[in-house]
Amino acid sequence: MGKNKKENRRNFLSMLGTAALGGAILSPVLSKAANTALSSNVTEIKNFEGRIEDFLGGDYTNIKLRMQDDVRRAMKKPAKERKWAMAIDLRKCVGCNACTVACISENALPPGIVYRPVIKDEIGTYPNVSKRNTPKPCMHCENPPCTDVCPVGATFKREDGIVVVDYEACIGCRYCMTACPYEHRMFDFGEHYSDGLPAVAAYDERPSFEYEKEWTRENKHDSPIGNVRKCTFCAHRLEEGLLPECVTTCIGGANYFGDLNDPDSVIAKVVSKLNVSVLKEEFGTEPKVFYIT
Amino acid sequence: MSDITKNKFSRRSFLKSSAILGAVAGGSITGVGAFAMSEEEKKKFQYEIQKPENQIFSACLQCHNACSIKGKVYNGLLGKIDGNPYGPQTMLPHIDYKTSPKDAALVDGKICPKGQAGIQTLYDPYRIKKVLKRKGKRGENKWETIDFHKAIDEIVNGGNLFGEGKVKGLKDIIVLKDADLAKKMAADAKAYGKGKISLDEFKSKYANHLDKLIDPEHPDLGPKNNKFVMMCGRIEHGRKELGKRFTHGAMGSNNFFEHTSICEQSHHIGYNEASNKWVVTDGKGKWTGGKHHMKPDFLHSEFVIFFGTGAFEANFGKTSMSQKVTDALVDRNFKMAVVDPRMSQTAAKADWWVPVKPGTDAAFAWGMIRWIIENERFDKKALSCATMAAAKASGETTMTDATLLVKIEDGKPVKFLRASEIGIGKDTEFVTMVNGKPVKVDIHGEKEVYGDLITDTSIKGIKVKSSFQLIVDEAMSKPLNAWAEVCGTPVKQMIEIAKEFTSHGKKAGVEFYRGPVQHTNGYYAAVSLIYLNMLIGNTDWLGGMQIGGGHWHEDGSKHGGVYNLKKANHPGKLANFGPPVTREKSRYEDFSLFRENGYPAKRNWYPHTGNIYQEILASGQDEYPYGIDFLFLHKGTPLLSMPGGNVSIEYVSDPKKLPLFIASDIVIGESSMFADYIFPDTTYMERWGTPHTTPDVAHKASKVRQPIVPSITEMVDVNGEKMPVNLEAVYIAIADKLGLSGFGKNAFDNGLPLTRPEDWYLKLVANLAQEGDDLPEATDDEIKLFVEARRHFPKEYFSVERYKKAIGGDDKLWRRVVYVLNRGGRYQDYKDAYKSAPYNKAQYKGFMKFFVENVAQSKNSITGNNFNGIAAYEVIKQMDGKTTGFEKLNGDELQMSTFKEVFGGQSRTIGNYWTQQSLNPENVLYMNKIDADKRGLKDNDWVTVLSESNPKGEIDLKNGTKIQVKSRVRVIQGIRPGVVTMSWHFGHWAYGANDVEIDGLTIKGDDRRKDSACPNPVMTIDKSLKNMCLTDPIGGSASYYNTKVTIKKLS
Repeated sequence: MGKNKKENRRNFLSMLGTAALGGAILSPVLSKAANTALSSNVTEIKNFEGRIEDFLGGDYTNIKLRMQDDVRRAMKKPAKERKWAMAIDLRKCVGCNACTVACISENALPPGIVYRPVIKDEIGTYPNVSKRNTPKPCMHCENPPCTDVCPVGATFKREDGIVVVDYEACIGCRYCMTACPYEHRMFDFGEHYSDGLPAVAAYDERPSFEYEKEWTRENKHDSPIGNVRKCTFCAHRLEEGLLPECVTTCIGGANYFGDLNDPDSVIAKVVSKLNVSVLKEEFGTEPKVFYIT
Repeated sequence: MSDITKNKFSRRSFLKSSAILGAVAGGSITGVGAFAMSEEEKKKFQYEIQKPENQIFSACLQCHNACSIKGKVYNGLLGKIDGNPYGPQTMLPHIDYKTSPKDAALVDGKICPKGQAGIQTLYDPYRIKKVLKRKGKRGENKWETIDFHKAIDEIVNGGNLFGEGKVKGLKDIIVLKDADLAKKMAADAKAYGKGKISLDEFKSKYANHLDKLIDPEHPDLGPKNNKFVMMCGRIEHGRKELGKRFTHGAMGSNNFFEHTSICEQSHHIGYNEASNKWVVTDGKGKWTGGKHHMKPDFLHSEFVIFFGTGAFEANFGKTSMSQKVTDALVDRNFKMAVVDPRMSQTAAKADWWVPVKPGTDAAFAWGMIRWIIENERFDKKALSCATMAAAKASGETTMTDATLLVKIEDGKPVKFLRASEIGIGKDTEFVTMVNGKPVKVDIHGEKEVYGDLITDTSIKGIKVKSSFQLIVDEAMSKPLNAWAEVCGTPVKQMIEIAKEFTSHGKKAGVEFYRGPVQHTNGYYAAVSLIYLNMLIGNTDWLGGMQIGGGHWHEDGSKHGGVYNLKKANHPGKLANFGPPVTREKSRYEDFSLFRENGYPAKRNWYPHTGNIYQEILASGQDEYPYGIDFLFLHKGTPLLSMPGGNVSIEYVSDPKKLPLFIASDIVIGESSMFADYIFPDTTYMERWGTPHTTPDVAHKASKVRQPIVPSITEMVDVNGEKMPVNLEAVYIAIADKLGLSGFGKNAFDNGLPLTRPEDWYLKLVANLAQEGDDLPEATDDEIKLFVEARRHFPKEYFSVERYKKAIGGDDKLWRRVVYVLNRGGRYQDYKDAYKSAPYNKAQYKGFMKFFVENVAQSKNSITGNNFNGIAAYEVIKQMDGKTTGFEKLNGDELQMSTFKEVFGGQSRTIGNYWTQQSLNPENVLYMNKIDADKRGLKDNDWVTVLSESNPKGEIDLKNGTKIQVKSRVRVIQGIRPGVVTMSWHFGHWAYGANDVEIDGLTIKGDDRRKDSACPNPVMTIDKSLKNMCLTDPIGGSASYYNTKVTIKKLS
């Protein structure tokens, strides 16, 4: 790796299903995503075609299982036909930060990088007080201001709406960080939680699986170190028919996720039926993260 | 099978000390790390951690909820933790138990931030992997590594171990080893304690064995074996029973302790006493079989009042409760009120936030009770049932004593009137008034008896009142506005909440945990709150209070278990006698010390409660009733976690007072740093357990904790069995050396051995797999998956043959065990818990009491006064009954409260940087703006916290180090003015926070771990005892909320 960076970059982009190269080169990963619903890499799973919700007998609804079915259905379609979106019900957010930590763990994030912070505010004056918890992942804007400023085209919106960073192309200039009105993007300075401790901890060594690849932190040129990083809606988990980590681990059941283009999906119903709003609507960014208040 | 040394961590690892994690794999430090990829690997990305063969289902232990988890293994290391979808705590609704584990691998459940960060506990660079022996003085933090067997030899045989003179080993302490003799001596010693036989009689009978006693002049104090004390912090089912097997049955000591009194013990005792059943056998009646915990059924409830707790932080527990509550709030007609001086996340979503003064929860309950009685909004029909038959006929599963008559002596209720006392029945029968006429009551009889609620009269010269009359008397003892005034909250709020509480029939409940009970009035507060539930008769009703779904019995005691580990399977088990050093579960009046000294006793005795953590070291120091010769501290850090625990540093630092002190810990902790030896322990991701489930879960659930990855602690060979050093290995090795029963060869009936951990734990799993004889058997495919998922274990950890041998049954049993292990436990299907509407499937079906006869009959052994059978609001008192003046703030005093940030455990999460560093890197003192303005304090000002017990705000480690209790201020609106609060899980002085020396090498501490303070060291010490925090004399709870502090700004 690193020997022919250009070629690798091309593979990377095609893997993401971007239109940048006109879809001319189909990497095995892309075909996988397009043709089979779930990565065939996950061995010995026979009943993928069935509904996950059927794991639950009886007439009970489990919204997370339903949404996981939604994800699997969406993954059967070509990337350009799906549009991922998230809705966060602030009435159900209990401010526990399970999402924050799950995301750090899943994506093996270093110190200083948090894809899913929860902003906590106190409102009112004693004794009429309340609290507001606002989880803030990447908004995955329809019109992302962050991508246009990238001098090397390393960050862009995929066909399925996910805004990504190509770690092999990113030069670490950080223009995109300034451009993001939600202050979401962060720079990977190459730190580790166990820096300076008696041993390097294994949790600092596990690779990140972002973009369906194993990104180690061994080598600056072959890792996200020195790059700008951001939430990916756990694109690597979507490929496997799984919900983003923040959604699965939410103990308050506050998150909805799925394909907005699928009228039968939970997310489509939530966004159309509930009174949703977006952050900084006036910027015209058209976020794909909606809030229910 | 792989070799553990090949599970390399990193090429960046470097060697510091072979005792610390850094040197896990000798060959790995220059090799290519396991996480590095080859070109080939990069091309073929596979999401390894989601593969069925890379997942092991287990149970968390970042807190006591012990949620079901799945460990996702990556290259032989734990790569990720998520919730287990089979578990009712971690998915709502959870998936059917019959789902294939291959399919379940595709679904992740939920788990809280602490659970998510568990990997950072497992791979904490400060974990110890070899046995450490102190090189300097206690607490100096100078250590040498020592061979495991040498360490065991030293603690067993004693000698001049530290160059400080001869130390007694276990062989000099565990002197009563003959099971027959122990049994006989126990019976006679107890008889002597109660004055039934004379001392001379005892002495002549056991003339040859008097040297085995702590004190031959007081044989009822028990054998010298009692001077061995096993003090556990966080210990759970499976490990707990093994610990008791070791301590009680094998070592013959009566001193096995958990930490419950620093958690929420008085809550359990309150429930237990109020729900104790009246059981009549052979013509004798006994109070027994109470439930020590109930929770609201949030899935069907319409209104819940949380006292001093919530659904979204701490409690028992947030992972299962949160979504039930948020769904109910948003999608249903559910409302809630939160009584708490601090605006919690739950209070923020509640319809009412009631910031009462700390310690006044009972007063709030009594105000509500008064209003409910005056407005007749209690369930009259349910309360009038005087027999279970009447209750059943009225559609209730439970009954109360509301109409039963209680004898009044000197104005105090003392005992239920028995039918025999007025000549209308037996002495196991009670009496109620039916239309003013006394009628005998056989609780369990066929007769439907409905009694009068209000009775205040005399029968045959005996003054009696009904229990309900006693409640009325107490409620009416203050006007409503006076009750509200005690709490410092508006009476309007009290009325609104009482009205709401009584507007939903059975679908309402009062929920509490530690907030109202970790006070000196804790037991009374607990029972007062339970009265509210009793007034609406909500137990067992959907939407009311539930006992939870329970579990299959891993002890094999019921329904066809394979090994009955409760009553049998320990040949040679020793009988215990003598009071525990904490004098818990013991009645002062039953011992010779009482006959000699009367009241006041030197320290209190606690007949109603157990696991009084804060009493262990304080009593050892006072040598009352006897001193401790050998302290074995396991997974606990009392010096940090107890209120004022720092006062015990003096005791544990002194080898003359405490001759031998060993610890079992994963790191060098705040308390284990004072030990003579530290035996490394395995974390919950490397070992076994069978934790139980919160009653918040209505489903029957038996979780199994099992190794997800091999342990990083050193491997040792104990009689040919290789195992990682941990608590189990220490038990097995000590038992072997001392020749104790219940371990080693022939440990169980039928000659089965207990020579490695699986010999114990797989028998527990076998029991719960076999119970009911209706569990499916794992198919060949499932067995294949089971074996493949364990391919990263070296054969010493896992081999099918060894597992089968440990299970000890036939192929059917083996397959059932695999079925359970493949799912991380055994779980009832979601739909099956709700088949008994309008009741819960799991029912208490018992007798709830307003008047607790048990408690009314016992005394505070300092004052000699009886406790109250009817709960009441009581001001904060010392053990000797003197008030502390906590309620009145003088000058610039503030009341100190505490809580736990959602992402922190008390003492074991400081190394979880993902949570600590990303969410809140340091502790802060939360203060209302009104109080801050008065003191000229602003956000982020550094302050120190001072109290009468700790006027300098200092922790003296007695090793030359003194630590200032200091913190930054956070000015907020969401706290009652006059109250300040701090979270718990900061302020470490060890656990990687400090430098330690091992084998001459200095291991540098991490400043991130010592930033900011823990509030415990400034908490109030009982002035009548001087070495222990304020304590509830009935429930035993340690007081965390009864300290007044002043805040001094630091420049």
